[in-house]
This record gives sequence, C-alpha cells and structure tokens, in this order.
Amino acid sequence: MGFMFLNTAFLFTAFAALLPLIIHMISRRRVDSIDFSSIRFLKQLERKKIRRVRIRQILLLIIRSLILLFVALAIARPTLQGVFEGGVSSHARTSVAIVIDDSASMSRRSDGGILYAEAVARVSAITRLLSSGDEAFLLTASSPTEVVIGDGTFSPDVLHAELSALEPTDAGTDYPRAVSAALAYLAESRNLNRELYVVGDMQRTGWESEIGASVEASAETGLPVEAVGEGVRGYVIPVVGPTGNCAVTAVRVERRYGGTPGMYAVVAEARNFGARPCDIPVRLFVDGIQVGQTGVAIDAGATASAAFSTAVDVSEWHSGWVEIATDVLDADNRRYFVIRPEERIEVLVVRGDGVPDGGGHVGASEGGGHDGAPDDWYYIARALDPTRGGERFHPVVLMVGALAHQEEGRFPVVVLADIDRLDDAGERWIERHLSDGGGVLAVLGDGTDIRYWNAELLPLLAGGSIVAPVERRGGVRLAPVSAGHPLLAGFVFGDRLIDDVAVRKAFRVVIGGADEIMELPGVGPAMVATTPPVGGAAALLYTGIDPAWSDISRSGLLVPLLHRITGRLAEPSVRQLDSEVGGDLTVPYDPSHSGTPIVFLPDGGEESAVRISGPRGGAAIRRVRQTGIYEFTENGELRALGAVNLPEQESNLGAVDEAGLAELLDPLEIRVIESGAGLEEEILVARHGRELWRAFVYVALMLLAAEMYVARPRFAPER
Amino acid sequence: MSENSYRRFLDPAVVSKLATMELRARLVVEGFVTGLHRSPYKGFSVEFAEHRQYMPGDPLKHIDWKVFGKTDRFYIKEYEEETNLRGYILLDASASMGYGEDRITKLEYGSYLAAALTYLMLKQQDSAGLLVFDKSIREFVPPRSNPRQLHLLLSELDRTEASSTTGIGEVLHELAKRMKRRGLVILISDLLDDPDKVIPGLKHFRHMKHEVIVFHVLDPREAEFTFETDATFRDMETGETMTTEPLAIRRDYLEAVGEWTARLRRECAESRIDYVQVLTSTPYDRALFSYLEKRKRLG
Repeated sequence: MGFMFLNTAFLFTAFAALLPLIIHMISRRRVDSIDFSSIRFLKQLERKKIRRVRIRQILLLIIRSLILLFVALAIARPTLQGVFEGGVSSHARTSVAIVIDDSASMSRRSDGGILYAEAVARVSAITRLLSSGDEAFLLTASSPTEVVIGDGTFSPDVLHAELSALEPTDAGTDYPRAVSAALAYLAESRNLNRELYVVGDMQRTGWESEIGASVEASAETGLPVEAVGEGVRGYVIPVVGPTGNCAVTAVRVERRYGGTPGMYAVVAEARNFGARPCDIPVRLFVDGIQVGQTGVAIDAGATASAAFSTAVDVSEWHSGWVEIATDVLDADNRRYFVIRPEERIEVLVVRGDGVPDGGGHVGASEGGGHDGAPDDWYYIARALDPTRGGERFHPVVLMVGALAHQEEGRFPVVVLADIDRLDDAGERWIERHLSDGGGVLAVLGDGTDIRYWNAELLPLLAGGSIVAPVERRGGVRLAPVSAGHPLLAGFVFGDRLIDDVAVRKAFRVVIGGADEIMELPGVGPAMVATTPPVGGAAALLYTGIDPAWSDISRSGLLVPLLHRITGRLAEPSVRQLDSEVGGDLTVPYDPSHSGTPIVFLPDGGEESAVRISGPRGGAAIRRVRQTGIYEFTENGELRALGAVNLPEQESNLGAVDEAGLAELLDPLEIRVIESGAGLEEEILVARHGRELWRAFVYVALMLLAAEMYVARPRFAPER
Repeated sequence: MSENSYRRFLDPAVVSKLATMELRARLVVEGFVTGLHRSPYKGFSVEFAEHRQYMPGDPLKHIDWKVFGKTDRFYIKEYEEETNLRGYILLDASASMGYGEDRITKLEYGSYLAAALTYLMLKQQDSAGLLVFDKSIREFVPPRSNPRQLHLLLSELDRTEASSTTGIGEVLHELAKRMKRRGLVILISDLLDDPDKVIPGLKHFRHMKHEVIVFHVLDPREAEFTFETDATFRDMETGETMTTEPLAIRRDYLEAVGEWTARLRRECAESRIDYVQVLTSTPYDRALFSYLEKRKRLG
C-alpha cells in the first residue's frame, strides 16, 4: 500500500511547521536584556537546570513544529492507497458500469423492506460519488440482461429517473452475462478510472454460467474477457436478505382416462429451500376459481408433492395455478399451468409385415401374425383407438416400406411396431420427423434385426446397443423404476404396477443416459425414454406386446399406458405451452390462418410481436419477462393459452460468499463491500485509499496536549 | 506636622523623592521617633537631665527615693546620655548596589538608611563615621560627634554612586585592622560576594571586640525573582550575560538565594552579629529599630 495526498495543493501548508522555528529565531533576537545585580546564582543553576530548560525549549520547538506539520498534512488529506494497484487520483474522470440485480429474488422481504429498494439505495450512493464528466452505464442482472443506460452519459437526473423506473422483475438471474456486458462497455471507455459495480443478492444460482463462456461482451469487442476486464476495478455490493423460502417448483397436469370425462390430475411439487421445515397449505385454482386445497409438510431441503383432481370441459382451453402461503419471496409461491383442448392425434403405426388395412383404420379381423395371434401393431392400434371412434388418437397402420411416402408433419407420433429394419428413405423420414420435434415409440419383438438396429436405428433414436434377447419361461414381473415418473403417475401402487404384467421374452439393451421407466428385475430395463440426438422424443419398449413375449396385451395397463406414452411423445410436436421467464413461449398455431395473432399479457397489456414458426405451426413470443397466463388471440378469438413461470433456480436464495465471488469473477480484481458498511466511504477508500486526516488531527491534538504539559508554567508568579 | 505625616517618610519610595540628603535623614528620623513611646534622646546614662512621674512599667531601680521622701510621690530620674559610642557605617557602593528595578536602587536605599542612622547617632551624641567601599575603600570619614560631621557625612553619601566590582571581605579585614577603639560597625551591603570571604571579614570585627550590625539590602526582584518572560541577564559588575527562562528556574533560584541568606544569617548569629535583611521596599523603621535595640544593649 502506498501513501499519497488527495489535496496535494495544500501540501505547501506543511511549511507552517517552520513557523515555530522562525518565531523562535525572531524572539531570540528580541529577548529582553536585563541588567541584573549579579548572575552568580544563575551561573550556579546553569549546569543542571538551565541546560534542562534549553532541552525543554528545543522539545517544545519540535512539538510545536510537529503540531503544525500534522495539521497541514491533515488538510492535504493523507491517504493510504487503496486495495487496488495503480489507483488513480480523485481528479481522474471515472467510468462506472453498474449491474443491479432486478431478478425475482430481489423482491423478497427483509427487515429493511424490499431487498431491491436497498439495492437501489446503494446504487444511488454509488452515483453520488460521480460528477460531471464521468461516464455511467446501468445494466440489469436479470435474465436476459437489459441495458438501461448504455450511452454512458452521466446525468444524475436521468440516472435517478431510470433507477426509480426499475422494479424487480419475474426473471431469473444471470450475473455473468450482465457482468460481461458491463465489462464490454468499460472496455470502450476512454477514462482512466474504470469501475464495475455489481449490486444484488449474489444468489448462487445466478452465477451458474461462467464469465466469458456466454459473454456477449467479449464477442462484441473481440477481446478475451481477461482483456476486457483489464484495469477495471470491481466492487461487489451484496444486499443480504433471508434465505428460507418455500416455492412451487413444478405443476404437472395429466389427463386421466376412464371414469369421469375430462378428469385431470394436477400434481404440484413444492420445495423447501430453507433450513427449517415448513408446513404450508397448497391451493389449486382453475380458471380463476379455487377448486382444491391440501397441505404439505416439507423438511429443510426436501420436496413434497400435492395431488389434486379436477374436471374440465376438454373442448376448451383452461388455465390455472397452484399456490402456497406467502413467505419471504412471493414470486415463486404461485405456479401457472394450461390445459389445452383435447385434439385428435394421428398416430402412424408402422408394422413389419402382415396385411395392412390400406392406409386406413385397423379392421377387426386383421392383425394376425405368423402364429395366428395378432402382432404388436394390432394391439397398439386397438389400444390407441379402442372404440374405433378416433376421439383421442387416430392410428394409421402401414407397411414399413410405405413410410417414406407419408406426408411429413402429419403424424406427431410414429410407432415402430416390431419392425426388422427401415430402408434408407424410411430412415431419412424418421430423422426429419424427429428433428421436426416428432415422437417415436419403438417396440422390439420377433422381427427386430439386432445388427441393423444397433447400426442404424438405435443411433438415430438414442444410441447404445441391443445386447441379446433374454427369455424367462416362467416370466418376470414388469416393475416400475420410479413411482414418481410422469409416465407412470397413477399406475403404481407401492413398488408395483397396478396390474401384474409377466414378461417372458425381452431384449437386454444398453443405452447410456436414458430415462428408465420400467424394468424387469434381474434382467434389466424394460422401457426407457430418450431424447434423440436430432431432436424430438423417443421411447423404447424392450419387450413385445404380443402374448408370446408378454402379458401386456392382456393387462389393463395397455390402454392407459399407451395413451400416456403417445400423448407425451406428441407434446413436442405441438410445442410447449409453458415456459419460464427469459425463455420463449410457444403455443400451437395454424400458420394457414389469415388473422394476425395478438398476445394478451398477464398484466392486461398487449404484445403484437408474435413469431410464427415451425412446419406444424406455432406462435411464439420471445424472452417473456413476466409470469402468468398469456392469451394468444386472433381476430378476437382465443387460439391458445400459455403459462409462464419463474425459473426454479430463482427460488434458491442461497448466496455466494466473498471467496466464492472472488473465484467467480477471477481474474477481475474485486472488492466486496458488505451491507451495513459505509458504502461511499468504503468505495472512496478502495478507490483512493484510506484517508488518514483524522489520525493526523488526533496526533496533532495529542502533540498539543504534550505541548501544554511540557510548556505548563512550573512556578506561578507570586503576586 | 502630624505624626502620620512624619511616618510616611519611613517609606523608601517617599524618601527618595526628597530633595537633599539632610532632609531625608531628618525626616526619616523624625518619622521614626514620633512613633516611639519614649524619647530616644533621653536615656539612663551619667548626666542627670530631669525627673518625670513614675509610670507603671518603669523599673523600680530608677525611682528617686529622695524625691519620694520629700513629696510622697514616685518620680523617675532621667539622664542625658553619654557620647561614648563610635559608630562606623560601611556602605557598599559596588555596581551591584546600583540595581533597582522599579523603585529605588539598593545603593539609594542604603544611602538613605546610612544618612538616617548618621542623623540618629549624632543626635544621640554618638560619633558617626562613614566608609564607602566597593572592591576597596573608596571614601572614609572617621567618626566624630561635632555638628559639622553630619553635614560632612551627608554630603559624602549624596555623592556616592555605584561602580566597580565588590570586594567586601578584603575591605572588612582592612578596616578591622585600622579600627583601634571598640565601636559599632554597621554594614550596609547586598553582600554579593563570596560568603567565604564576607563572613571572615565580619568575624574579624567581632574578634576586635566591635559590635556589628549587617543590613543586608536586597531588591525585591533579587529576593523573589519575579521575571516572567525569557530574558538575557547581564551581570552589572562583571558584564557577563546569560539568557534563560525565569519561570522555569525560579524555584531553583529561590532555593539558591535562600541557602545563601540562611548561611549568612546562621554564621552571623554564631558570631553574635545582628543580621537584618531588608528589601528596598522595607520601611526604614525596621532598620532603625534594629540599630536602637543594638544601641540599647550597648548601654
């Protein structure tokens, strides 16, 4: 640490320290001369006393000089240089880039009010240190980063107006991106004094990406982030709030088949991010009306589910939300969902051989295999449309060779029912289908050509390989891997399926990273869900449906399970109906419609910039910024609903500590200024060093006391 | 002139404003005498002067029993005193005696005191002589009791000025050798000389059977050292200088002066020498009382 003076212009006052010496010299010349009768006694005292007096005079001279010196130096504002190397003079112009966290977590309540208000106060304090000629940039740390002031013009009025207009958003946090953008602005600054301020709750989940990895800034400047941050002094100013928080992190809406028409199961997951258990009520609202309530007790760090059932008119769009009791952060206490009208889904069932029905529906007498029993495709087609009314699914069965001639985009789901292989055109068709977001259900069986599948089809669907067929004469009971898996919700009782299904033959398949749904104990996985490399979704059943392989066809599980799987696989093709703040919200939309879609935002506002995309249609708005239900209308007619929720990670209010921040922001040199510290003084200390004028004044006062002690009259004149 | 009017002439400051030495001497003595209950002019010597009525407190041995037998009243016999005392007034006129800050110098004080003593002694029919000295005897007027002696001595005192260094010891020894007849030696000096020389000189007089009174004259500033600001002190005799801070050394100075005067007092007492320290602000009656006490003891 170096030593410097901030008011060097006042250093000349240090010459005042010579005053006592000058006065001493002058007064020495002017000392009274007294004719005295005899100095014999004075001479007697000379040795011991007068010499001491002279020493005292010199001591006083030194003390008085030091008093004036210290006072003069105090005026010149002596300063220990700050923590940053190469700190520049306070006269240098300054460029500051301020990143303020306006994410949802900043709306939490603390003892001092809303956390965001505290952050704004701190930003205001920072701006008070700026003066005319300085540059200021203001960016938000919410995702995506918003550049509030990017032209660098510093005007207190403009800055304060922009600050007061800002409010905490429903968005998640992305500190790295905001910091990178801020560094890019500072990199373009010509001022010597460049400072980055990050003000926020330093939420751990907000630092998940790495600085420089997603750095638009470095991309814009063409410089590596290390170079962008070079010479920049970073100040991290955490605003601290409570971290105990419970949130609704997910809502799953599942159609229930059988029983009451239009019955849906709504399963909400609530998570306790705090350190204490919470016992909270959970309420379900559909179309704005509360239709259910329950309660959950959640241990610290645990997740609990709350299940509801509700019946709706399946021909219409519905929206709703699940909410829990108010806590420190309201933004994540409610999670929205949408129930879309049920539409008939055309399912293409591709069979290996046998007699198709000419591209139409499966006839009652068809479907026989080599052994006279129906093949897999038959059971599948029947299960998908048991009443042959095509209300929910409309299966279309065709031979494998005809696949390449089918219209692309017509079928959201393709079922490969025990086929041996595809021709090249068929493979390309499936690839395009997947890349377009389509779903594929592959059922293995007698016809499966292991070598072909391992070489061609499995890489397309999931990777991995089929090892060998396995046979168990007595059969192995099919078992769920995870009772909570969405595909099995409602089909599991304890650790067993609601209906026993014996499997006699199956393939042992090894697929890395697959989502295992069911298994054959002692054999291996029996059914997995995968995400194909080219896109879309896929599910693989390692056993056949026909009775030679398993009892699936005879169980009551076939229809609901197949509907569940097919419905799930169809979802990507109709695009997601829910999204998180900061992402894109896409709903199904027929591009052939002539009208212009308009989105009504949750707060009653309007959004006209709707992007139409996708071969099967879809309307999207980009980077949604608030939670709630979005209404897509066309010519005044509701076309779709979309739900936007808070990113789950925003509910985790744990913060990064000082060491962690230093590591995250490395190689940027930072100083963390904790809440409660005198912010302006701390910044000044860090920027220019620690001012020592008070210490100098104290020393001067102590010297003054010493002077008064030394100079005190030894002998009061006797009057 | 009223008694109070005379008494004010005991103040050295007032006396210094009078025109002539004779006037000073006369007024001092008159002022002193008017304050006494008994006349100093009438004592109990040889020659009868008059009778006066007995007053309670008078010694019974002085009652004239013959008169009592005749008149049945008590009368006391009073006599004219004899002129049998030779008084030597030794006045120090060294340069240090010229010091006097605010009022009068020590030499002026000493001169007026000497004049008053001379006047008083001659009025009592004693012989009075004067010796003015510094490092040596500067003037010497042998003791006489004739009427011209007063004028002579007062003139001499009027002319005396402070100069030169001090040599009290040598002067005292020299004078002691000269004085053949016993007498009363009155030394008026600031004694600013080596005590080891001054005291033997005084003792020399005692050895020669003389009675000695020492009037140690000091200026109040010498005694109390009430200087406040830093100053350069110049020795009036040697011309040496010393710059110092009076407030800082005052205590030590006073200690040194106290030790010096205590030694003088002690040594004088041991030799039965009357030591009287007077400041130049001290009224003259104190010194005159001391003289009269001594004179009384001498009978």
